[in-house]
Amino acid sequence: MSTLVVDDDRRAGEPPAPLRRRRSLSLTLRSTLVGWSFILPNFIGFAVLTLVPVVILFYMSMTSWNVFGAANWVGLDNFERLLQDRSFHKALTNTLYYAVVHIPLTLGASLGLALLLNRKLKGVAFFRTVAFFPYITSVVAIAVVWNMLLSPDTGPVNQILGWFGIDGPGWTTSSTWAMPAIILVSVWREMGYYMLLFLAGLQTVPTQLYEAARLDGASAWQRFTNVTLPCLRPTTFFVTVMLTIASFKVLDLVLVMTNGGPGQSTLVLSQYIFNKGFVENQFGYASSVAVVLFLICIAVTIFQFLVNKRRES
Amino acid sequence: MKRRTPMVIAATAAIALTLTACGGSDGDTAGSTSGGDGKVTLSLAGWSLASTPEFKTIADAFTAQNPNVTVELKEYDATNYDTQMTADLAAGTAPDIFVQKNLKMFYTYQSGQQLLDVSDVTNALDAATGGKDAYTVDGKSYAVPYRQDSWVLYYNKDLFNKAGVALPDGSWTWDDYANAAKAVTTGLKGAGSKALGTYQHSWQSTVQGFALAQTAGADLASGDFSYLKPYYERVLDLQDAGAQVPLGTVTTNSLTYQAQFGTQQAAMLPMGSWYIATLLQQQANGEAEDFEWGIAPAPQLDASTAGTSATPVTFADPTGLGINPGIDKGKVDAAKKFLAFAAGEGGAQALAKIGITPALLSDAVTDTYFGLEGIPTDDLSKFAWQTHDTRPENPVLPTTAILQNILNDFHTAVLSGSVSVDDGLAEAAARAKSEASF
Amino acid sequence: MAATLTPPTPRIEEPPVADRRRSPLAPVGRVLGYAVMIIASAAILLPFAWMIISSLKSNNQVFTIPIQWIPDPFVWQNYLDIWQKSDMSTWLKNTLILSVTVTFLQVLTGSFAAYGFSRIRFPGRDVLFLVYIGTIAVPWQAYMIPQFIMLSKMGLSNTLWAIIALQAFGAFGVFLMKQYFESVPEELSEAARIDGLSEYGIWRRIMMPLCVPAIASLSLITFVNTWNDYLGPLIYLRDRDLWTIQIGLKTFISQYNAEHALIMTGSVLSVLPIAVIFLLGQRYFVEGIASTGVKG
Repeated sequence: MSTLVVDDDRRAGEPPAPLRRRRSLSLTLRSTLVGWSFILPNFIGFAVLTLVPVVILFYMSMTSWNVFGAANWVGLDNFERLLQDRSFHKALTNTLYYAVVHIPLTLGASLGLALLLNRKLKGVAFFRTVAFFPYITSVVAIAVVWNMLLSPDTGPVNQILGWFGIDGPGWTTSSTWAMPAIILVSVWREMGYYMLLFLAGLQTVPTQLYEAARLDGASAWQRFTNVTLPCLRPTTFFVTVMLTIASFKVLDLVLVMTNGGPGQSTLVLSQYIFNKGFVENQFGYASSVAVVLFLICIAVTIFQFLVNKRRES
Repeated sequence: MKRRTPMVIAATAAIALTLTACGGSDGDTAGSTSGGDGKVTLSLAGWSLASTPEFKTIADAFTAQNPNVTVELKEYDATNYDTQMTADLAAGTAPDIFVQKNLKMFYTYQSGQQLLDVSDVTNALDAATGGKDAYTVDGKSYAVPYRQDSWVLYYNKDLFNKAGVALPDGSWTWDDYANAAKAVTTGLKGAGSKALGTYQHSWQSTVQGFALAQTAGADLASGDFSYLKPYYERVLDLQDAGAQVPLGTVTTNSLTYQAQFGTQQAAMLPMGSWYIATLLQQQANGEAEDFEWGIAPAPQLDASTAGTSATPVTFADPTGLGINPGIDKGKVDAAKKFLAFAAGEGGAQALAKIGITPALLSDAVTDTYFGLEGIPTDDLSKFAWQTHDTRPENPVLPTTAILQNILNDFHTAVLSGSVSVDDGLAEAAARAKSEASF
Repeated sequence: MAATLTPPTPRIEEPPVADRRRSPLAPVGRVLGYAVMIIASAAILLPFAWMIISSLKSNNQVFTIPIQWIPDPFVWQNYLDIWQKSDMSTWLKNTLILSVTVTFLQVLTGSFAAYGFSRIRFPGRDVLFLVYIGTIAVPWQAYMIPQFIMLSKMGLSNTLWAIIALQAFGAFGVFLMKQYFESVPEELSEAARIDGLSEYGIWRRIMMPLCVPAIASLSLITFVNTWNDYLGPLIYLRDRDLWTIQIGLKTFISQYNAEHALIMTGSVLSVLPIAVIFLLGQRYFVEGIASTGVKG
């Protein structure tokens, strides 16, 4: 590979200007065909198994479907009902709260871990495995242990806080502190997962650039902001998008830790969708909540795409 | 891409239309068909077959009497039974006969036309069969009850004696119960034991089920939940007095009622009759400690229904069997025969032998049940098991599931101390109005 | 980072200040670093430790106030029981088949499609890509019934194929590989084109070998997700001999009673294989593209 050094000035394979126009149409056709040939094996599975059901979901969001009977077309009625639905508003606010706090914390923690563990140290393999452990450990066990640690009266966390004269909150038994408790546990659980993605990304940063920066007398922080971060941009973008979507769709940890309670203090959108669909049998209405969740995610994602494009250029 | 888009939409629309058209009335039931030689194979839904023997027990007992009918069990998950069943019914892959786990989902199945009319089977059942009215909609019956648990009060005789408190005598109101819980807690503390007077599990049923069943005029559908108030105030008082573990500790420490009562952490436990079999089994294999226990009727709201000369009011949903309308026409008779057997004396005897409370509680069935090894045989326990007016926990209404969700939020909010009872009730009433009136 | 590994000779050129600053602090920093990592590891492994402890308790001792950290007595029997009481070997086999197949298909089709998205320009590409990402944003529970009806009509429900079909063509792998491919300098592909390689050849000979770290992380993540998937198998698999570990473990929960000790025993057993695979797989996180010798 090391022989493939290319002179930037000579763009190889590109025909001279007059020829270009005539061949451009067939070139477009050719690259379209080649492009689709790459995408098709995945796309067939994706379209049949995911895209079609998702489009059906959009259709169902405008019906009063209850799974068994016919799906009667109701137009935008479900969405109008959402405007009045206070439980939906509560779920939406809770989900936003979770996402806004959870995303930056997880991003920071996982990038920090990846930088820390991207070294040639003895035992690094062990520490990487440990960092990934929370993600592979059963979510039920995680919920049990953390609930116990955070138990207001008998839990060690509040006992330790007590040593410093801090009267610990009720955590998962308090409607104010239940969401912070869930965020805390979810950052702890997911940081190893996103660390893995960052670790892969860090392998794209050319070591020569570090050497050059060091020779220029750049400090560790400058090397991080001027070399690591720019080279890591595609990965950071990927992680941010996935993390955002995953945060808006959060479900399993909430279910096992608080089941939405106390009261509705940790009710999130995905849980609301499940309740409306499978518990209350209003699948049409549940679909419309899913569509709203989709629209929020897609809006944030497009925004992130645009920011990413601008930074690239 | 541009040219493909309309095609994708057209294809999707076509599929969507097929879906809506054939919704669940699709008739290809999985596998089994009736053979020409009079042999019939029925499929029956059950959950966690390894640890829940009731389905196999009934099936075997039935096949012993009807050798030409084979009953195949199809296994479902215990906690996600209705989710899986909904998917299977929607796709037309559900078994011939399926269990109605509780009444919350019965309305969904019945109104979604996923249950065959089995009025002829229900009408022929013994009049004493509990819970059969719950499955009747507009004069027609859509399932038969084969087991009918009821909530009773378990108590630990050893701990009561240690604390020097008189054992339950069947005449208790909830206030008597609360006083006893406090007295036992104090008495046990004096005797150097850390055990508490009572344990109440985290479910909303432990408070709301009794309140709904016992309060005159209480109506879930009315959206007026003020009948819950005295019940919650009593529980909050018991939590504050330290006579029972608070809800926050139950959830954060994932406590189980089996361990709390079985390892003598609590002297009393309001719980369903299903726990009798578990406790017997755990005492036999050593998971539960060895102690003397008994069951008493559930405490009552006032003295009018208390005492062994009255019929105590309690609650629990029946568990029923219904027939999938997608069943092969030739198998309907055999399926109905199976239902009649399961809800009748034959099924009841088979279930009683494995410690399950059948819907039909005849004297013969009671004798079988109290012949189980290790079961308390005092008169009060027998009375509590056999005599009660058991109301359904989930009245069959279109809004039941929604209202129960709202009330569950109320339950956790109030018992965790996040809101006062009055504020919680106001909030629940407001939500019921906006979410359950369409 | 590479400083400690650099042979002494080239260091002569470096300013002596930097040298003095690094050497005395290095051992202290390293000891401190290890100390922090060991404490953090202990904290992170706590739930796993609790799982192991619980797996050695009897059922009614699993949840207590306050928590009992040393089982009394040790119930080693649980590990014997789980093999006798359950079909653990069948569950492990099914889970392994699913995880390996799904991972293989996801990496293969995902990276193939990713090349199309990242390296070939054609009209509609970006919109199509957004459609891919968009589907990730829809919660699965919302469309699982229509999907289940479709797959049932195709005769796939209650077969392992359903889970493979469900998991193997996700948008996640496409997105991950696309982002990684974009880090590969375009010059490499250009040079390869001059050498007469087709686009397929570039994908196979240049991109895939360079992207080993990304393939490793995609494989690990896909493997773990399939291994731990609960809802998918729950909806699609009914027959006992098709169950995966996560479904199987749930059979220790009946309607009114749960065998917590056995559930934890099973969870410990199900985590161990992934831990080993991760330990082996993480060594592929070594310089991929960075060491290609492209001078910017």
